[in-house]
Amino acid sequence: MTAFKTFFKILNKNKFIVIMYTVILIAFGGFNMQTSDSSINFTASKPDILVVNNDEEKGITKDLIDYIKGNSEAVNIADNEEARNDALFYREVHYIVYIPENYNEDFLNGKNVNLEIKTCDTAESSFAEMLVSRYIRTANSYREIYKDENGKISKENEEKLISKINDTLSKNTEVEITSKLDTNSLSKATFYYNFVNYSILAALVYVVSLILSSFRNKKIQRRINVSSTTYRKINRELLMANIMFSLWLWGIYVLLSFVLIGKIMFTIQGALYIINSFIFTMCAATIALLIGSIVSNKNAINGIVNVIALGSSFLCGAFVPMQWLPDTVLKIAHILPSFYYISTNEKIATLENIDVSSLKEIIPNMAVMVCFAIIFVILSNTVSRKKRRED
Amino acid sequence: MNNIIEVKNLEKKYKELTAIDNLSFEVHEGEILGLLGPNGSGKSTTMNCILSLLNFSKGSIRIFGKEMKPDAYDIKAKIGVVFQDIAVFEELTVYENIDYFCGLYIRDKETRKKYVEDAIELVGLEDFKKFYPKKLSGGLLRRLNIACGIAHKPKLIFLDEPTVAVDPQSRNNILDGIKKLRDNGATIVYTTHYMEEVEILCDRVIILDKGKILATGTTDELKELAKIEEKVTLEVHNFDNENIEKIKKLTNVDEVTFNGSSLVVTYKKGKHNLIDMIDYLKKEGIQYNKIYSERPTLNDVFLELTGKELRD
Repeated sequence: MTAFKTFFKILNKNKFIVIMYTVILIAFGGFNMQTSDSSINFTASKPDILVVNNDEEKGITKDLIDYIKGNSEAVNIADNEEARNDALFYREVHYIVYIPENYNEDFLNGKNVNLEIKTCDTAESSFAEMLVSRYIRTANSYREIYKDENGKISKENEEKLISKINDTLSKNTEVEITSKLDTNSLSKATFYYNFVNYSILAALVYVVSLILSSFRNKKIQRRINVSSTTYRKINRELLMANIMFSLWLWGIYVLLSFVLIGKIMFTIQGALYIINSFIFTMCAATIALLIGSIVSNKNAINGIVNVIALGSSFLCGAFVPMQWLPDTVLKIAHILPSFYYISTNEKIATLENIDVSSLKEIIPNMAVMVCFAIIFVILSNTVSRKKRRED
Repeated sequence: MNNIIEVKNLEKKYKELTAIDNLSFEVHEGEILGLLGPNGSGKSTTMNCILSLLNFSKGSIRIFGKEMKPDAYDIKAKIGVVFQDIAVFEELTVYENIDYFCGLYIRDKETRKKYVEDAIELVGLEDFKKFYPKKLSGGLLRRLNIACGIAHKPKLIFLDEPTVAVDPQSRNNILDGIKKLRDNGATIVYTTHYMEEVEILCDRVIILDKGKILATGTTDELKELAKIEEKVTLEVHNFDNENIEKIKKLTNVDEVTFNGSSLVVTYKKGKHNLIDMIDYLKKEGIQYNKIYSERPTLNDVFLELTGKELRD
């Protein structure tokens, strides 16, 4: 077990790197625990709408103004067009409704009168538009009901019409979320395990590649070749050491997740996160094997591992949620094992019931990671054999 | 005499280039055999072929009476190799490095511990056990390289230019260590282009050039091959042609060369050549700084055989 022991002796000299990436994981994981108290509660917000009325404030005109005021934030803007334009530009107001002259009369007489609108095309202005449209659609619908044979609204029907509009618009719908998922804890767990992608790649791949490159050094290899120990035996010992270290590191990160995230880790979702991270760790170990076989320059390893760890973490959504990433980036990310690992984490967070059909959503991703691992092992064996032959 | 290595008609070609050309020799038990030759003469290639690190085109190699092959692990277990390039783990200390390489041969922990201590003592690294290679000087690093190759107490040791770029103190230490290894019963194949080391160390010498053996024998036997018997060197600033011609006519003188600062007079044979030269200089009133006499060196033999110097 000479090579096996030496692997761990060299690892011991590089323990700082492992500690550093673990501290980064704890720091970011812990920070996320503090900040991401997210959210299944919704509070309705009110847009800023300014009404410029050129009609008499009575009848349907008054009702429209009251409706808008009741559903929006009051905004005080000077009564001139330049001030309104400035307010729109500086987002002091998001939507301006101009009620034209004789709006009430024209509406009651069955004419289709358009409101003039000014908007700054923000999400808030879209919301304002929804509010105003809702009123106009409702008013038009009741006008169709209460109009006489001439298409006009009589005096006595005007009051009924306004009252019906207000009845309809005042109705609220209660929304109840029936999901039993502890989304807050699950989002913490997802964040943590997504971040593990970076820590595993950076710490494990870097340290293992560094150690393997020492053993694969041409001069050291030549010494081993003239010795009475077979090349196969050394390789077997190194592989065992690599697996042991990977398991150890994975175990530490899993243990940390129990400490940082807590209760959710004892659920089936927690178990799935652990299984997924295990498969990914083994895949990362094979990446290390491959880099260790290809690269002998230790300075180059540092650069390569940074590119791999940071690159795949950014591309696959370890730092930034996947849904925020552009489609092109996600398409490129399909060629990286991290994509399947992080996708699985995201899916685990949404699994309501764990049954065969829900597992079918995550097992293919895990299978892809296993395939990646097999490909990396084959590649590293091919490269090592080719290098040996060349030497 | 028991042959530890038997090389017969060894030939190694790299496409058109013949690196080793029909080489045959034996290494006797308990001797230090020097493979002497300039850079590119085929010393390291010969060693690599013997160790099965390189394929060869023709010939046979037997070590300890058995055919040497890449998977002859029973033979490899008795061999120690010190390569010219330093091959140690930068991340391990002196002790850990020796322990690792010794561990490739010796499985028993206690035995290995003793062997590692012995190797450290042999190369004089007792004070540097916990040092990392980066902290060692070039000479100490060479000693570590040697310790890594011989810690398992092999019966046959290959040393490939182990003293290249080494300070005099480390060189003496290394050479003393090699003698101790021989005294402890090891057979040693020592490749070098330093003729002084060969003269100090080797029982027998093979002179190689362009992959061929030019001469084999003890240093004295090889020196017999040189035509000259003695060489007198005179450090002098001005020496005219007339005087050179006069010296050429002195008894036993073979050749006279003057390079502007020193005059070299070679003698084919004879006694009292140095005294005769001093008498001549006194008689002619020629002033000189230094005068000394030398026996022919292996370099002279090499010069005689190839027309070029060993270090060319």
